[in-house]
Amino acid sequence: MAVIKYVARRLVLMVGIIFVISVGAFYLIHLLPGDPATVILGGGDTPQARAALYKQLGLNRGIVIQYFVWLNHVLHGNLGTSFITNESVVSTIKNAFPIDVEMIILSQILAFAFAIPLAMRSAQKPNGRLDKTASAGSFTLLSIPPFIIIVFLVLIVAVKLKIPNTGPASYVSIGQDWVVNLESMVLPAVTLAIGSFVLYYRILRSDLISTLQEEFITLARSKGISRRRIMWRHAFRPSSVALVGTAGVNIGGLIAGGFVVQFLLQIPGLGFTLIDAINLSDYLLVQGIVLVISVSVVLINFLFDFLITIIDPRIARD
Amino acid sequence: MSDNAPLLSVKNLATTFETARGEVPAVGGVTFDLLADETIGIVGESGSGKTVLARSIMGLQPRTNVRVEGSVQLDGTEIVGASEAELRKIWAVDVAMIFQDPMTSLNPLIRIGKQIDETLRLRLGLNKSDAKKRAIELLDLVGIPSANERYMAYPAQLSGGMRQRVVIAIALACSPKLLLADEPTTGLDVTIQAQILNLLDQLKSDLHMSMVLVTHDLGVVATRTDRIIVMYAGRIVETGTTKEVFAQHRMPYTEALLASTPKVSDASHTRLNAIPGRPPDLLKLAKGCSFAPRCQYATERCHNERPELESSGSPSHLFACWNPLPLPTNRTASSAGSEA
Repeated sequence: MAVIKYVARRLVLMVGIIFVISVGAFYLIHLLPGDPATVILGGGDTPQARAALYKQLGLNRGIVIQYFVWLNHVLHGNLGTSFITNESVVSTIKNAFPIDVEMIILSQILAFAFAIPLAMRSAQKPNGRLDKTASAGSFTLLSIPPFIIIVFLVLIVAVKLKIPNTGPASYVSIGQDWVVNLESMVLPAVTLAIGSFVLYYRILRSDLISTLQEEFITLARSKGISRRRIMWRHAFRPSSVALVGTAGVNIGGLIAGGFVVQFLLQIPGLGFTLIDAINLSDYLLVQGIVLVISVSVVLINFLFDFLITIIDPRIARD
Repeated sequence: MSDNAPLLSVKNLATTFETARGEVPAVGGVTFDLLADETIGIVGESGSGKTVLARSIMGLQPRTNVRVEGSVQLDGTEIVGASEAELRKIWAVDVAMIFQDPMTSLNPLIRIGKQIDETLRLRLGLNKSDAKKRAIELLDLVGIPSANERYMAYPAQLSGGMRQRVVIAIALACSPKLLLADEPTTGLDVTIQAQILNLLDQLKSDLHMSMVLVTHDLGVVATRTDRIIVMYAGRIVETGTTKEVFAQHRMPYTEALLASTPKVSDASHTRLNAIPGRPPDLLKLAKGCSFAPRCQYATERCHNERPELESSGSPSHLFACWNPLPLPTNRTASSAGSEA
């Protein structure tokens, strides 16, 4: 079973990468100038707090021991308690992370829903009118940075069209009111979707064009089956390996890079919280968020690598 | 097909590719008929237009930058100029193609059984389980052992010969009246070649199909065709019954082609008889006979005037040449003198 072996190898590799990440995240605090306790406590540096922290992190012991004490806490779901806000880092992350997840899922649904059919249309007639228009349009979109896009979207959707709950700082959690939540997610999801859409469209288009030149497509045509079936059944899957690989990297990037959108629209996701934490010198929270983001990126890449082997099992074989 | 009308009637078929460098006349006016149950061989070097001709007969060109003129009537249906939607109705059911390279002509990500029963379900309307049953029968018919298990195999799990059998099974799925076999054995080992050709021969007579067998290998067509078309630079240069072409060919190109086939009787390390020169650049075809630049018998006239296909007495035997080779009887008489 080549696939199982491949996945097992990947899994071992992933555990190794996560170990390295954890060392990095742990060492972050020690990299900053000064005593870690001073760094962590920030403004709340009282003798009592300092004593509590020393006990919590084992700061008077060697650094290797400190790492394993910390790792033990992390594995038990304990990232410490912020001495700035007095909130547990885990619960802060638990509130913020689902917002990123929702934002990314919505944006990816939008991106794929537009990119796949459009790439198929383009590939049917390369250099045809639709292909040229779509390629030029996507290139234009690619060259506009998200922070410009979002300003325009706010101007048009929230200010001109006055669609409720789409402007900055209108975020409400799903539990509170899902309609308002979805409305507030429109602009961030669309903004993130645009970049992804352009990427996916371009990659899928060029892969479809080259797949459609393959002899097995000519054979499929000679069976007298419809163009639509040739596209979906015969051409799409062999053309989607690069697409899925790119999506994995791209989504990882969105987790780490969604903060521009979150900052501009005041959406309290991980990126937004991270900026807040940096401004407040809340280094335990920074450490926790960095760890969560990095591990998520690794997990997503692993998941998409696995997806690729399902799409094309030959990849696992070599 | 009760009357004597041919199953396939090709008239002045010309296929031109529009490329950035100019127009390439890959097939330049080809005319021939094919009767029901008949097998015709199309031979010629690489680039002589055989494959394009086969695809044009079926209407299976690339969708853009190609122009097809003339007429192809298949059992009364005109192919040239028909829309792809119309062609889809006859593809697989009336005419099917066996592709050249079994390594690239099967979809690598779909189980072979699924690739066969796709045609059965979508074109013949069979339900899932009937299609599967029939697909396994077809795998069995083309000589794939343990067809039941192989139904689930991916192409990469089969050898080249087995894959070509799958390609044949796909072509046979709807029992077409006409089978276009485009170099069906080129990518295969010699022993497998014979197996595949014998299989085609047998299936052809069992299923009452007509066949167009395209190949560059004269050995392939010698015993398996009723008639032969020799192509050069997109045109027919000689055609006749298989016997006529082998024993009484008149066109120097045919002779050169036959002479270039190595014989078992040759001594070891005999130098192969290659045809001097290269096939012509279709972008810059001369106005005379396209073979003239490589022909040892070429005269002034050959370079300036194009010969048309003409009969040599036998109505089935046509060739396009200003200086045809003498008939074999005369040949031996003139060269040796004593043997006749």
